[in-house]
Amino acid sequence: MSQVFVVFAYGLLTALATGLGALPFLFVRGVSLGVVARANAVASGLMLGVSFGLVAEATQYGSWQTVAGAGCGVLFVLVTQVALRRHNLEFGRIRGVGAQRMLLMLVVMTVHSFAEGVAVGVSFGGGMTLAVVIVAAIAVHNIPEGLAISAVLRPRGASVVECAWWSIASSLPQPLMAVPAFLLVEAFAPALPYGIGFAAGAMVFMVFVELLPEAYEQARRPNVALLVSVTMLTMLMFQQYL
Amino acid sequence: MEPTLVVLAYSSAAAAIGGLGATPLLIRERLPVTAIGWSNALAAGLMLGVAYGLMVLGLERIPLPGAFGALMGILFVHWTRAVSGTAELDLNRLDETPPEYGYQVLLVNALHSAAEGVAIGVAMTVSLPFGAFTALAIAVHNVPEGTVLSAIVTARGVRLPHAAGLAIAAKVSQVLLAIVTFALVTAAPGLFPWALGFAAGAMVHLVLVDLMPECYKQAGSTSIALVTLVAMGIVVFLVGGGVVR
Repeated sequence: MSQVFVVFAYGLLTALATGLGALPFLFVRGVSLGVVARANAVASGLMLGVSFGLVAEATQYGSWQTVAGAGCGVLFVLVTQVALRRHNLEFGRIRGVGAQRMLLMLVVMTVHSFAEGVAVGVSFGGGMTLAVVIVAAIAVHNIPEGLAISAVLRPRGASVVECAWWSIASSLPQPLMAVPAFLLVEAFAPALPYGIGFAAGAMVFMVFVELLPEAYEQARRPNVALLVSVTMLTMLMFQQYL
Repeated sequence: MEPTLVVLAYSSAAAAIGGLGATPLLIRERLPVTAIGWSNALAAGLMLGVAYGLMVLGLERIPLPGAFGALMGILFVHWTRAVSGTAELDLNRLDETPPEYGYQVLLVNALHSAAEGVAIGVAMTVSLPFGAFTALAIAVHNVPEGTVLSAIVTARGVRLPHAAGLAIAAKVSQVLLAIVTFALVTAAPGLFPWALGFAAGAMVHLVLVDLMPECYKQAGSTSIALVTLVAMGIVVFLVGGGVVR
């Protein structure tokens, strides 16, 4: 029982770390179209980097499963898009397309946390020895994910506190999924490639269908491209060395 | 066969296949803009898949020289475009193009295929199957790129057979860089992570600077994203499944 509590507590800790991603936006003032475009480019780079890393991991469990999961992830985003368009949404004070994009980003990142939670639980199932290392690693990895979420929310008018809160909320599925995955490793391990594939497919699709087109509309193309590719490279290195 | 000749054969075949890109113009003199958009997206997805394949290739983690190589690849593309005045060139204009537009488009295409040549060359140093697979993926991607280039130059009054020839000629730098990279990395194996990173970084950046901005102007973002992801998914699946190593 105490181990279950430890897994949950560690999972919660990693979720809280996501909120740190909002902190850089304390220093970003002004909410202009140019800021939206650059923030989109940064979020795109972060999400592409995360996804490349995730896919590389998932294909080690099984290639078919990863691709099938990714296909479901894409479908999920398409369906969510349609559902969000049907309603006249409000997100705090924000309405219309901006609110749709913010909500879609939150949905995609929250769903991706489910897969990450399973990954945490399964890795704990291998024994508690490496646990602290794994938790520290995941907590650190969550910070840029919070950054990506805040990059989409903040320039559209959410406050820094709201960004931090939504970032943490999007990571809450992690502790919730980590516990059952830890208790039932045998049952959850085969689902891992599907889940990770799903998360990666949804994030990459989100980048190509929402974030990049908007970035190219509002900022000069060399700047967008440079921000995306350098952020993506930084994220890949960050994942591997920290 | 002499390994360098193998690289020559594969990269030449990949470049030559680009000429097939002109065939859709046999059927319709002017392609619908959405078709050009999807061609770009298809090319982009295949390039991203190849870049992914290079990055995860049997490596536990990307070594630091690989990261520096990738940064060099990104900056190489960025700077060559900036100094040649083509950084913000609208690459797919069909109408009312200025006289200098023709050479600018060919220059951009030549620079674009140079990076892909590095990818083929470095993949060939890994193993013949992986090199052949990379050459095949680049070859398939050369077809939609050939279509886009043919559409642009025929709109400027170039006859179709010549357009097909230009689509191949624009890929000559692919052959050249494939052979040079292969020879250099074989002679000095320490260059391997640098060349690998360079190719991956340059290709990702080319997708972002050449292909994606054009696609989104030509077709809806949903169809573009779908075409890109499917093309990328196929390559990632083949690489990840260990079909080629």
